[in-house]
Amino acid sequence: MASSSKAARLGEEVWKSRVDKINAEVLTLTYGTIVAQLCRDLTLPATANKTDYAAVNAELDRMGYNIGLRLIEDFLAKSNTGTCSSFRETAEVISKVGFKMFLNVVPQVTNWQGVEGKPQAFGLVFEENPLAEFVEYPDDGRAQDELWYSNILCGVIRGALEMVQMQIEAHFVTDVLRGNDTTEMRVTLVRYIEDEMPPDDE
Amino acid sequence: MESRSPSIACIGIIGRHNNPLHISLLPVTGQDGQPNQERNRLEYTFMLNSSLDIFEARMPSKTVGHDFGLLHALDEPIALYGWLTNTGVKLIIVVDMGGRTAQTAEAGKTAILGLRTSDLTPAFQALQTAYIRLLRNPFYVPDDHDPRTTKLRGSLEITSSRFIKEVERIGRTWYPGITAI
Repeated sequence: MASSSKAARLGEEVWKSRVDKINAEVLTLTYGTIVAQLCRDLTLPATANKTDYAAVNAELDRMGYNIGLRLIEDFLAKSNTGTCSSFRETAEVISKVGFKMFLNVVPQVTNWQGVEGKPQAFGLVFEENPLAEFVEYPDDGRAQDELWYSNILCGVIRGALEMVQMQIEAHFVTDVLRGNDTTEMRVTLVRYIEDEMPPDDE
Repeated sequence: MESRSPSIACIGIIGRHNNPLHISLLPVTGQDGQPNQERNRLEYTFMLNSSLDIFEARMPSKTVGHDFGLLHALDEPIALYGWLTNTGVKLIIVVDMGGRTAQTAEAGKTAILGLRTSDLTPAFQALQTAYIRLLRNPFYVPDDHDPRTTKLRGSLEITSSRFIKEVERIGRTWYPGITAI
């Protein structure tokens, strides 16, 4: 598709020239420590040792949301893309320019659902995930089913798109760390946010 | 009578305060490459224990490198080789000179001629790589190097199944003369 190759070229160009880079191991180890520390700190209400994985997921999402709110400015400034004309184009720009710029990975956009006017959703399939290199889930039987290791990415996308007037919902459906074949995130458009008047305004 | 060639009998990873982090035993393999005899865990634990003294004894004088080479040859056919990392973690490989059936005629001769220390370098390097991989997992809590915290936390044995499988794979695929595992 013409727009996707344009996006791909833009992403490549921005990655090569306009971003500062850091060592991938530093990022992986830092993120790993954050998740491990959250698992130690957030425990189920009555117990001292059992991690509350739902709370960890929520916290990672919250952290990602705060990152996304700020990241979108940087992204728009560096990439100079205009407004996207459709949700489909948004998806292409996120995967080919956004992820390329910040993580140097290009997830595949798959599994489109819906057309204009009806709820739209797409999936992002990550072939490699730099945040999750060398990670093995702890052996307590519940992490396998409850923890989404890269949940921060869902929050980032949610925060970033909210600043450009799109309310979306993102969550992981499969993850290689859990033993599935691929890592896939589903992003669903909830609504376009219109500028609203504050209440009680005459 | 089939000729025998060396194989790895046991791999031990000992922490800085001589606490065992992991011990893998590999069985004696028979004619068709299948394991036909298990090894005695207690016996090998004692052997690893006794080799720790050799590390202590040689430590001051060994200034260059970390490969301790042949630590101890315990009445043929057992030989122990060791490798000390900079953080004090010791990797010990116990080789059984008659541990498997010789695949080729030259392999059979090695049992008689003996091993060179450099034969084991690829195995030690692969072990070190596996250990580094394990350390990069954020959910693994590494050995604290402090006996007091160890008492509070209990055993620090490595439980990661990926690491254990990798150690066993290294043990099984090694043969004298292999260049990279």
